[in-house]
Amino acid sequence: MPALVEQPGYAHERLCALTERVPCRETQASTLLALLGEPGHYSYPSIFIYGHRASGKSHVTESILQELELPHAIVSCVECVSAGLLFEQTLVAFFGPEAPSLLPRSSSLSDFVRIYKQLCAQTPACQTRYIVLDRAERLRDMEANLLPGLLRLQELVDDNVTVILLTEIVWDKFRPNTGCLEPLLLHFPDYSKAELQEILVRDYHPAYSPDLYGSFVSILLGVFYSVCRDLRELKHLAALNFSKFCEPLEREEVKESETHKLWRNIEPHLKKAMQTVYLREVSSVQWEQQQQQMEDREAGTLKGLSAYAHVELPYYSKFLLIAAYLASFNPARTDRRFFLKHHGKIKKTNFLKKHEKTSNHLLGPKPFPLDRLLAIFYSVVDSRVAPTASIFSQISSLVTLQLLTQVGHDDQLDAPKYKCAVALDFIQAVSRTVSFDIVKYLYDFL
Amino acid sequence: TPRHATPVIPSRSQPARTPGNVLEEARARLHVSAVPESLPCREQEFQDIYNFVESKVIDGTGGCMYISGVPGTGKTATVHEVIRSLQQAADLDEIPQFRFIEINGMKMTDPHQAYVQILQKLTNQRVTPDHAASLLEKRFSNPAPKKETTVLLVDELDLLWTRKQNVMYNLFDWPTRRHARLVVLTIANTMDLPERIMINRVASRLGLTRMSFQPYTFKQLQQIIASRLNRVRAFEEDALQLVSRKVAALSGDARRCLDICRRATEICEFTAKPKSDTGLVGMSDVMQALDEMFSSSYITAIRCASVQEQLFLRGVISEFRRLGLEEATFQQVFVQHQALCRVEGLQPVSVSESLAVCQRLGACRLLLLEASRLDLLLRVRLNVSQDDVLYALKAD
Repeated sequence: MPALVEQPGYAHERLCALTERVPCRETQASTLLALLGEPGHYSYPSIFIYGHRASGKSHVTESILQELELPHAIVSCVECVSAGLLFEQTLVAFFGPEAPSLLPRSSSLSDFVRIYKQLCAQTPACQTRYIVLDRAERLRDMEANLLPGLLRLQELVDDNVTVILLTEIVWDKFRPNTGCLEPLLLHFPDYSKAELQEILVRDYHPAYSPDLYGSFVSILLGVFYSVCRDLRELKHLAALNFSKFCEPLEREEVKESETHKLWRNIEPHLKKAMQTVYLREVSSVQWEQQQQQMEDREAGTLKGLSAYAHVELPYYSKFLLIAAYLASFNPARTDRRFFLKHHGKIKKTNFLKKHEKTSNHLLGPKPFPLDRLLAIFYSVVDSRVAPTASIFSQISSLVTLQLLTQVGHDDQLDAPKYKCAVALDFIQAVSRTVSFDIVKYLYDFL
Repeated sequence: TPRHATPVIPSRSQPARTPGNVLEEARARLHVSAVPESLPCREQEFQDIYNFVESKVIDGTGGCMYISGVPGTGKTATVHEVIRSLQQAADLDEIPQFRFIEINGMKMTDPHQAYVQILQKLTNQRVTPDHAASLLEKRFSNPAPKKETTVLLVDELDLLWTRKQNVMYNLFDWPTRRHARLVVLTIANTMDLPERIMINRVASRLGLTRMSFQPYTFKQLQQIIASRLNRVRAFEEDALQLVSRKVAALSGDARRCLDICRRATEICEFTAKPKSDTGLVGMSDVMQALDEMFSSSYITAIRCASVQEQLFLRGVISEFRRLGLEEATFQQVFVQHQALCRVEGLQPVSVSESLAVCQRLGACRLLLLEASRLDLLLRVRLNVSQDDVLYALKAD
């Protein structure tokens, strides 16, 4: 039995219901509640809550505020592209839907403070008001005065108001250079394996016993825990794969007690799911459909999103892309050796002094000028190609397709520089279609 | 929009008290805003400006004058004094009547507002800047019967600079018109302003009537205070001399000098002295006031900093010495900070504690920092000289 979240000033049933809603987060919830204090008390001006993704920050905060019916405004800073929207949502939550009409069109923090004070004088707070700012890291990108202003909002509006900031980033990266009122820091640690198990078991399937679901969850965690501790993702995976786990039971091949057989049945399936589902390569709906027609198809035979690496390109575009790839990954000093028929004598030992350097494929593509691209292009293409407008427009459309990227300023007309932005597999597929052996021309593979 | 959007100085409901004792009287007389009976030590400049404006007013022509000098040398006060005596002369019908208008570049939101203000002061019309410019253009270029001379004082001229410099150009072009009868007196701080920021056609219209106000020497400062006090005996002779010598050595700013004297009277009043004393402001009070005004607060700030903050500063200096540069990343300084903690036998600091210390020092400008989101990679520079830091850390 977990410890009850306790704080004087609130009804016992409410606190019980709250405890029920925040499994494995009782310590954090009671710390937070102790910071908030009784409804009428003045709380600390700002509380900064941080922890990894899906560690229950928003859930615990929202549960407390909703369950105990405290006046609050929950604002997502991602939605608020300007500070004005943030102010509007706050005012609506506290003073009703007419309140934001008082704000001027592009409102600043001082407008907000003025309107807040004005409305606050009409409806004074008998309880602490809470402004919860989710994804608070976005506040740093808004006006420089917004974050320091919100941190001491209590003092500015002279009202019993507390700002709660929720984020995944530590406070050190928030602090403005001019200093500010330091908030109280509250850390939400990650769930342990046992805690994850406890939370996941809570949503078991009503048709089966909780023990069966428990064993399923422990198998699931055994496979996925090393790569993923995100509760949200694990819940999604559990929901997706449970029907497969139950299949032998429905066919009545095994009984519920035979966990080993069930494990044998599900484990390869989960390993496959790790490759496909976790990265969302096959969408969840596709995955479920596939499970229903398991008889004729194996899981994973469907092509994922990333398998569609084949793009139809015009003939010369393919060669342009190949030339760009060669220009990006070969050092310019080797061009003579690769692309000139009579390149004179180059000592082989001199040429192959690559052992002191790392492979260019590890360092990433290098920028190259347009001239070099065209020179390689003419030597790679067998026939004679006129430098028509169509060739140049194909280069620029390769840029718009993001197969090439332009380096430096966009407006540079003479001697622009490019980089090739495709992978080796892709370029090999492309060169195979034009029967060009690209590996022979790559310095790294010599 | 709010009804009282314009910030105002809170008004005084009770009249100011009349000074009760000698020190209060002295303080009232030494206030910067108190109008002095005379302007000592600026007789030559006064005479030059007076002659310039008087000749233009009598001839009914126009002209420009550029007045420069470091702050606190009495430029604006002298010009106002000139205008006051000219107006007295005009009232006595010694010279023709003229109009005086004053604008200040600092009091404008936008350089083009200058037109609006000039027009408003001339004709009491309120129009947009463009319209005002065209109205003024018409007024100054067309002949009109019995037009009186206008004397325009432009304070803080450098703030009227625009990209095309059309405001400055117009201000200097109007006096050259035949029918304008406009005298423009411009005031700025730097002597070479016309050469530095004005394009040639503007600078040439400004002409060569320049005047520069030299900073006051200590004798002049002493004379100014003496004339301000005007037989109110509140200061010892040596104390006054000390103030004026100190100020003259640093800037020659008369306002600074008056401020220090007023502060000294306050200090004298607050330190309850034995009755045997003369009740005058003595050497020690003036010394204290000078200390307050002139000494850098950085050293005091470093001395009063916490142990960890002092350790961090020490870490910054040792890292600078190691690198031979004046800049280091936080990560490098942190290593030094931790080593220093170990040497001092303190608990080792964590990264976020050290970063908090660093950013606190940055917030009070002892350090210059980059944005805090760079974390370990943020670069640290000292905002004070290394010698100052060492002196402050060693002195205890």
